[in-house]
Amino acid sequence: MIGAHRRTTELGLIVLAVIVVGAAYTLASLGTEASIPANVVPFLLVIFGLLIGAHIAVRKLAPLADGILLPLAALLNGLGYVWIARLDKDLAALQATWTALGILGFVLTLLFVRRMRDLDTPYTLMVVGVGLLLLPLVPGVGRTINGARIWVALGPVSFQPGEFAKIALAISFAAYLVRKREVLSMATFKIGPFAFPEPRDLGPVMLAWGFSLLVMFFEKDLGSSLLFFALFITMVWIATQRATYLVLGTILFSAGAFFAWRTFDHVQTRVTIWLNPWDDPADKGFQVIQGWFSLAAGGVTGKGPGLGQPGLIPAADTDFIFAAIGEELGLLGGSLILVAFVLMVGAGLRIALTTDREFDKLLAAGLTTLLGIQAFIIIGGVTRLLPLTGVTLPFISYGGSSLVANYVLLALLLRISDDSTRRINEGAAA
Amino acid sequence: MNKRIRRLGIFLLACYIALFAMLNYIQVLEADSLNNNEFNARGTLETLRQPRGTIETADGVVVARSVPSNDRFEFQREYPEGDLFGHITGFFPINGRATGVEREYNEQLAGQTFEQELRSFADLFVDRERTGNVTLTLRDDVQRVARDQLGQRRGSVVVLDVDTGGIVAMWSYPSYDPNPLSSHDGEEARAAFNFLDPASGTSPLRASSYQNVFFPGSTFKIVTGSTGVQSGLVTPEEPSYPVESSYTPPQTTRPLSNFGGSSCGGTLFAITAVSCNTAFARMGVETLGPDRMVDGAAAFGFNQVPPIDLPGAVESRFPVDFADNLPALAQASIGQNDVSSTPLQMALVAAAVANDGVMMAPHVMKEIRDGEGAVVDDEPIDAWKQPISPETAATMRQAMLGVVADGTLSGAAQIPGFEVGGKSGTAQTGNNTSHTWVIEFVGPPGQKPEYAIAVIVENQPGVSENTGGRVAAPIARAVLEQALQGPAG
Repeated sequence: MIGAHRRTTELGLIVLAVIVVGAAYTLASLGTEASIPANVVPFLLVIFGLLIGAHIAVRKLAPLADGILLPLAALLNGLGYVWIARLDKDLAALQATWTALGILGFVLTLLFVRRMRDLDTPYTLMVVGVGLLLLPLVPGVGRTINGARIWVALGPVSFQPGEFAKIALAISFAAYLVRKREVLSMATFKIGPFAFPEPRDLGPVMLAWGFSLLVMFFEKDLGSSLLFFALFITMVWIATQRATYLVLGTILFSAGAFFAWRTFDHVQTRVTIWLNPWDDPADKGFQVIQGWFSLAAGGVTGKGPGLGQPGLIPAADTDFIFAAIGEELGLLGGSLILVAFVLMVGAGLRIALTTDREFDKLLAAGLTTLLGIQAFIIIGGVTRLLPLTGVTLPFISYGGSSLVANYVLLALLLRISDDSTRRINEGAAA
Repeated sequence: MNKRIRRLGIFLLACYIALFAMLNYIQVLEADSLNNNEFNARGTLETLRQPRGTIETADGVVVARSVPSNDRFEFQREYPEGDLFGHITGFFPINGRATGVEREYNEQLAGQTFEQELRSFADLFVDRERTGNVTLTLRDDVQRVARDQLGQRRGSVVVLDVDTGGIVAMWSYPSYDPNPLSSHDGEEARAAFNFLDPASGTSPLRASSYQNVFFPGSTFKIVTGSTGVQSGLVTPEEPSYPVESSYTPPQTTRPLSNFGGSSCGGTLFAITAVSCNTAFARMGVETLGPDRMVDGAAAFGFNQVPPIDLPGAVESRFPVDFADNLPALAQASIGQNDVSSTPLQMALVAAAVANDGVMMAPHVMKEIRDGEGAVVDDEPIDAWKQPISPETAATMRQAMLGVVADGTLSGAAQIPGFEVGGKSGTAQTGNNTSHTWVIEFVGPPGQKPEYAIAVIVENQPGVSENTGGRVAAPIARAVLEQALQGPAG
């Protein structure tokens, strides 16, 4: 019963998302070209087809899973596509391909990960995760683009392995912490007022901190570094129930960040721009200020799709896509995006709360944190709530690695949800 | 673990509430100030994707127009006259804000005023141009003479229609060519902008005529004299100031001298004709005193930004605290010390005297018509101030006519068939150089003057009282002759 109900809701919401996206697409095209796009019907059929494919996969492979996450992702992915198409036609074709691959990744994840316990292997995935994380540093395959060494090129295909590393590390961390939570919760080792577990058990946390610093220093990727560390600390805290880790983590990260700020020009520049972009509005502060101008031009109701000038913001289709949408849909549209992420976070945490398995619980919380914090970091950067660090806006920004990875993340959350509901149903039936 | 997960939920929710607050701050609270920020090119750039109205002079010369371009902006802004009207039209950069008329009348040029939008809504099914074409009060022929006359000397020429306040010519050298600054190639535009050294106080980007201030020197004596007559304490008959070569104000032992140590004195007309420093210093200090002088300068618009329809106008300054500094008041009364004035402000002083004491608001817009010829906006003919009564103005006109008839401007300012009144000025700047000034008005004999002018030529060698008449007066005469003659053909 629950399953059927959830699937009907999901289908209805997907139809709604497609209608919203189709309307936005038509309006954006009217705004830029003053004509109804000739390809609007094929466009709608294709995205509808893709989403129906994903929906059918859920129906077959995880029928009892949460019914809200996929439609929300569809809405965000669709709106992102509309603005990418509106900003750069060539990128739109690629993004459509990435969307298809993302949904393929979603289906394959549901197909191959039939039970969460298959993934409960801390060390294999940790090695995979760390390997992926460090891959861009390998000479020959690593590429530096816009100052950040986070790309890997294999022949004609390039991708950001960090996007996949974050999922692998979330899984391995959940597995490790579930095994070690007993010892980690016991504090026997005292430094001043703080009590810690034995250094031997704390090792992986320190290792995680070390890696996030490594990422920050050598790949010059502040956003990912912040994201990884937030993930680790949150998961350790949830697993051990000890606030000490939050304090310790914050101190360690602050120390690292301070050191990076003292040592690296690019970090200093970022902080300086954050504190005072108006000192150099034509050069260093240009992007952030243009983002603000863009949002301000949108006001409450926006300029209307296709009627703004988001092309004036550098990197409008990746890091600053939120400003582009905020300009044309206004505060209302920007809030819609925020609400969509809050709903996704809510659905993810509800899955974590509902499931009775510790590994699933911890992993669901971790994956939700990844999604929620990543969107927060980049929107915070664009609005200057935080220093700007270049991470993608999940499901919305242009970018293949990010899109595929986030669909995989979504599939894992649905799998956890399906598993948990199944057990509850069985429990109720028994 | 559930307790922690709930707390995590609260934390993440708080993060998003912070984002929502920030969005409200940017898109609601700060939206207006961001939209009007000087680095914000959006408002003007938006209009480059549609045709944009022309700007033309009163005598029909197009000084700004849009031509189709094959790039993302669709239209390129073009300034056929180059630097001649740069300070008036402004320029249209793609990575900053427009300036000049381009900024001031952006909405009308782009067809975005409420009335234009309304009309276009009514014209939904009719293909009509709704952009506005701006006609300036400036005349190409007069502006051109001003440029040729000033040549390669730093300075400004401002010509006003005394009746309306319309600016007939406003030229400053150096000026700039708006074309490269409006290039769609951002690098090229930025290079052109940086080349003009915008940070420098003497950058060609600044229109000296209304954005820079200078010592007005003896031209300021018209303000002092007008204040005296308006107060009733000075008439053509009295007081008669002593004939002397220097005057030592109270509170000091340092005397204030006439040019070249000459002696002068007498009543209003006599001291105006020869520009007598000692007499005007006495008038300011002894006849009028600090309060009347400060009020008199304020009545003429000092210490206020003139209401001109161009962005970035600056205020002319007259010190306000002389209570313990009468020597400074003595100097200020003859346009020295901390008195400083834009050329526009001194032209306004001459125009007010010419216009029965009414100072009209200066403006450059004559009218704006849409593509169909319907008037979108009318010339803003408004009085800004009335510093003096018509009677005072008549007296001061007499005094200024005397300057041209047989005073410091005799032989330099007369125009056959017309009546010219004026006042010369030479403001010492040190290094044995001075800013040389004239302010004048001109009209048919016995009738109300038509035009007022201010001319300043900066940093000219020599400091004699005659310098102003010798250097600036011929420029004023040539420009006024052109203005009176009317456009050719």
